Amino acid sequence: MGQLLTANVATNLYWLGRYLERIEGTLYEINKAYDKIIDVDKNAGVILYKKFDIDLEYSGALDFLSKAILGEHDANLANIMKNARENSIISRANIEESAFGEIIQLHELFQSITKCPRPVDYRDIDSVLSLISEIWGAHTKMGHRRFSDHFLKLGKLVEEVDFRIRFNRGEDMTIFILQNIDRLIKVLEPDLKTEKLKKEYNDKSIDIMDSIYKKIDKLIIY
Amino acid sequence: MLEESTELHDKFWKIFSKQDRNKIDEFQTYMDKFAVNFNLYKDGNFIEQSLPFDVIPRIIPKKEFAKIEKGLQQRVTALNLFLEDLYTDAKIVKEGVIPKEFVQRASGYLKDFVGFSPSKKVRAHINGIDLVKDSKNDEWVVLEDNLRVPSGSSYPLSIRDTYRKIYPDFFEKLKIEPIKNYPNIITDAMNYVNTGGINVLLTPGRFNSAYYEHSYLADKIGAHLVRASELVVIDKKVYFKNYNGEKILVGAIYKRLDDEFIDPKFFNPESLIGVPGLVESYLSGNVALMNAIGNGVADDKGIYYFVPKMIKYYLGEEPILQNAPTYLPYFDDDMEYVMNNMEKLVIKDVAEAGGYGVLFGHSMTALQIEDLKAIIKGSPRRFIAQELIEFYDEKCYLDNELKNRKADFRAYVVMGEDVKVWNCGLTRYALEDGNYLVNSSQGGGFKDTWVMEL
Repeated sequence: MGQLLTANVATNLYWLGRYLERIEGTLYEINKAYDKIIDVDKNAGVILYKKFDIDLEYSGALDFLSKAILGEHDANLANIMKNARENSIISRANIEESAFGEIIQLHELFQSITKCPRPVDYRDIDSVLSLISEIWGAHTKMGHRRFSDHFLKLGKLVEEVDFRIRFNRGEDMTIFILQNIDRLIKVLEPDLKTEKLKKEYNDKSIDIMDSIYKKIDKLIIY
Repeated sequence: MLEESTELHDKFWKIFSKQDRNKIDEFQTYMDKFAVNFNLYKDGNFIEQSLPFDVIPRIIPKKEFAKIEKGLQQRVTALNLFLEDLYTDAKIVKEGVIPKEFVQRASGYLKDFVGFSPSKKVRAHINGIDLVKDSKNDEWVVLEDNLRVPSGSSYPLSIRDTYRKIYPDFFEKLKIEPIKNYPNIITDAMNYVNTGGINVLLTPGRFNSAYYEHSYLADKIGAHLVRASELVVIDKKVYFKNYNGEKILVGAIYKRLDDEFIDPKFFNPESLIGVPGLVESYLSGNVALMNAIGNGVADDKGIYYFVPKMIKYYLGEEPILQNAPTYLPYFDDDMEYVMNNMEKLVIKDVAEAGGYGVLFGHSMTALQIEDLKAIIKGSPRRFIAQELIEFYDEKCYLDNELKNRKADFRAYVVMGEDVKVWNCGLTRYALEDGNYLVNSSQGGGFKDTWVMEL
């Protein structure tokens, strides 16, 4: 018998991984766009947020940061962090203690950024990315919580695939990540019979994500 | 009034005077960072807040604690015997030690469970006994027994680690009893009564006020934290539902919800936090529940009145720890006394907890007293009255100064194969000067409790 986890905890760990990866990935893209908006391409933010199906408007580089991170849209990172905090509270017994503390701190950081009268700036992004790195670092340790770490990693990888598809990144790495997802699912449920994620990478990105979600639906049973 | 300072206190203050006071903020930082919370509902809003913590510990000399320990072991042993007797042969009632009507009208008395004896006849697995130290005679007095779902142990347990890191001097230079063994005591008790299967801790869920404690303790005792929907009863056996659909047999459940919510098929059909069929499994002897169903009768403040008699009846001993002087308006003599002395008494509703339903005669107007007298006369079984115990204050470091605040002490007593008293506990202090209510739900704070020797 492997580590026992309720479906609720497994789901929350998975989504914690997804949300943290989403915040991290989004901030890296925001950083790049911010740099371009300053004096290369004023529309870089608009183009970026089109990939998230969001029509973003801003008056300049700093305004872009505020609107991107805290704007009234589905990619508001403070709101995503609230969800991540909830995920961590529900699954805290399966999260490394220092990582849990960092997740709470990360949430507090977003809250203080939200309430701060000064505009969001690059230091805020640096602080967030630094905390996320620490969280991932705390969870590279293997140990008696193997399965719980796998769910966290699964979420992270699934989100990574999502980003890679949205940003048309290199196929080889995407396939490699898909294979890792398959391997993780196999570890978590050796008896699960599903189709292997196709090695051939094609344009039907929605099929790829759909097949991943179907596997996870079969993996975590309520 | 403060207790007279001892050599142990002097040692503490000597070290305290040399500590960096700025580090006190680090306790709050720790509690914020690790979401050490006590949740409240206010005006329909869910509020997460940390319990106020005071850096000055309560100090109990080891010799003094040894007496408290003996008294608590005696008390809980007697209470367990009472519960087992009440729900089987009921000799204590048949022999007139406790009036039958009095027991049957206790809201926690569950007639449907008469005739059932739980695993290893242990019913009072985890007990929170509230005590105060009487300034009149320096004796510890029991104010209340909590045998249903006593909470609070996670706070001193989690803060002690932080205390050691922030101010190691105290722990290097003083002989303070270590307290990390409490989770092991609970695990041992769970394993002792386990009917075969894994251990789980049943929580109402994330939005329960004590959810932090549920998840903290589950982790420390090695039990799986579950909500009702994560357990299923099949053929009168309880199973844990693993994420992959696998069902794992459960042998012991540390339940952190009241009896009326644990099984919608048996109790409140509207309960969304209970496990359908759990009671049937329990009555079939297929799972142990900690604490047993039906313990609420012992939490009844009216039954508290009889605990010294229980000790004599079951153990043939004099109580080591005394009750606060208590009167039952249910009895004519006591009713007369209560009616004539209301101004100096504390009136309590027997079914309430958490500091609710407590009225202090000295702070009521004449009209309020008359109203209360009428209510008591109308429902004498509903109330007890106690002499106001002038219990000692504790020094607290509040707003950068030392202030005196009333403080009680919740001791934790665990019964498995034997009865063990944790060498720590929850010292709760009132935030306001002169306030006798120290419960966290009333806004009180907590301190660490150090059992020490020279």
